[in-house]
Amino acid sequence: MRISWGGFLVVVAVMVPIVIELRTVFVHLGVEMSIAQTGLLAAVMIGALLAWAVAPDIRGRKRSNEKSE
Amino acid sequence: MSLGANSGTYLDQFPDEAKLIRATFYSSFAALFVGALMGLLQVLHRVDILRLIPSEDYYSYLTLHAVLLVLTFTIFFLVGVFTWGVTTSLDRGLEDLRYTWAWYGLMAGGSLLAGITIIGGFFDAIPLSAAVLYTFYAPLQAHPLFYVGLALFIVGSWFAGIDWFRSWWAWKRENPDERIPLPTFMALTTTLFWIISSLGVAISVVVFMIPWSLGLIDQVNALLTRTLFWFFGHAVVYFWLMPAYMLWYVMLPKISGGKLFSDPLARVVFVLFLILSTPTGIHHQYLDPGIAEGFKFIVMVNTMFLLLPSLLTAFTVVASMEHGARQRGGTGYFGWLRALPWRNPVFTGMALAGLMFAAAGFSGMINAGMNINYLVHNTWWVVGHFHLTVGTAVALTFMATTYWFLPQLTGKKIWNKSLGLAQVLLWFIGMTFMSNAMHRAGLAGIPRRTAEPQYSGFDFQPAAGSVAELNMQVVIGGTLLFISTLLFMLIVVMTVRGSKVDTLPANGYAETLSGPEDAPLVLDNLRLWAGIAIALVVLAYALPLASIIGRHGLFGPGGSPSPQFIDTVVFTGQAIFDSLVGVIR
Repeated sequence: MRISWGGFLVVVAVMVPIVIELRTVFVHLGVEMSIAQTGLLAAVMIGALLAWAVAPDIRGRKRSNEKSE
Repeated sequence: MSLGANSGTYLDQFPDEAKLIRATFYSSFAALFVGALMGLLQVLHRVDILRLIPSEDYYSYLTLHAVLLVLTFTIFFLVGVFTWGVTTSLDRGLEDLRYTWAWYGLMAGGSLLAGITIIGGFFDAIPLSAAVLYTFYAPLQAHPLFYVGLALFIVGSWFAGIDWFRSWWAWKRENPDERIPLPTFMALTTTLFWIISSLGVAISVVVFMIPWSLGLIDQVNALLTRTLFWFFGHAVVYFWLMPAYMLWYVMLPKISGGKLFSDPLARVVFVLFLILSTPTGIHHQYLDPGIAEGFKFIVMVNTMFLLLPSLLTAFTVVASMEHGARQRGGTGYFGWLRALPWRNPVFTGMALAGLMFAAAGFSGMINAGMNINYLVHNTWWVVGHFHLTVGTAVALTFMATTYWFLPQLTGKKIWNKSLGLAQVLLWFIGMTFMSNAMHRAGLAGIPRRTAEPQYSGFDFQPAAGSVAELNMQVVIGGTLLFISTLLFMLIVVMTVRGSKVDTLPANGYAETLSGPEDAPLVLDNLRLWAGIAIALVVLAYALPLASIIGRHGLFGPGGSPSPQFIDTVVFTGQAIFDSLVGVIR
């Protein structure tokens, strides 16, 4: 996995304010989002993160973040 | 810094001081639990999901929540942290443990008195109440025991500060040519501005509020008590914040695997807070009618300068984290972030607290701007702001570092580190939901300090979503925060009940890339900085206070002494001056 589980959870936590604030930003751009749509956006972002985290590195690069707690 | 021959946990090095710090921490956590419970009940009351008490008693919830969390929880924890910092960095125990336990006793007794008085407000049969909010100035009046309790608590904290000074003086006699170690420097500068700033509220309480509540005087000058409160009321937030900053400076770099980027910059930051934290209090009174706009403008400028030490801190702390990450093998412009110890709740809690503090700082800038402040004054925006600052930057840092301190103080390892990580993440997420909703509610005009913000024939119009949605978001956030608090209490209790181990890391704090030898000597001249702090306070407050007292006297219109008292003083002073001039000529 490209990121530790701890790191994954932290990125998900940091995504929460981004998703919530994005909704307010979109309203000011004239795009209204319901709670369900916001939830879907969050799910897509987390899914994309998870997919990136578990995807194999096709370039075969050496991981630099092997050290973890 | 690793302590050579004396290395071991803090408990091994300073067992008596460890016992004292444990007492302060446990007192702090007890207040955190009750305060957090009140917070949950408040949130459920406001959105009309669960109203356990009549709305007329809502201020008792609010007062208990605020006093327990922002005075008892924070200050008990920080006196423990600073005691750790001073003893560890000076490598010596406190001078007289009887004196130390005496100040702890004052603080404990004072907070019990105040707490019991507030709780009395929930029960008609108990003739005690203090439903006066944390900002306890007139015209709301509490039972005298509330003010006495708070006064004892504050005086206890002064004695704690003096205890750290005593340690430093003794160390300085033995080490006359050494620079003040950084954690001690931080504790001393914080103590200096704490004593300067709390003089305001001490005068308000001793001279006005206690006699008024005892019926010895008929009335007080409400604006004067407000101004004296806010003289203390802004600096107190830095009293909470400085220990969190200390932990970000001296603990976070070490946990990240590296060193503190710059000791001199850290000293500059603490000197800036010493001189700027008090002469900014009037920015809480932008809408008070009795203070001229010119003074408010001066204070606004001072407040904007306060952004500087926080920006310096953001730079230094992130640079230190990057250094640590690269020591752990991190590479790339941003890839080094992945190398940080995110599974360690001590690190992650502090990092997320710092991240949230950045948002808090930006909302603070809105509050600081005099004209924009008019849009958010007395709304839930302000509540959202301080839940990010004291509620996260301070509280989450304190909880996260508990996972490092508790083993050092008890000799026992943390019961469940993964649960600790879940706890800090839950706090961050819960606070995001809650404070975001509070900020948005405030922008829609929803007021703070009210039990039932529901009005007939009128609906608030948030820019995004609806009031119902904001309410739901606040309830979700508040509930997550309370669950996080319960998790924290569980981890603390189970850790304390565990067995001692031999595998704990040694006590110590971060080394530096640029050390105290690179800091200009003038930074350690505490007398100079305290003198400048006092001068700035006199400049910011002398004329506003004189004008408030001159207009309506010390005790308000119709109270005594009347403004003639001031005229008599001025007349007498003028007569003495004229006489002296006559004698000299």
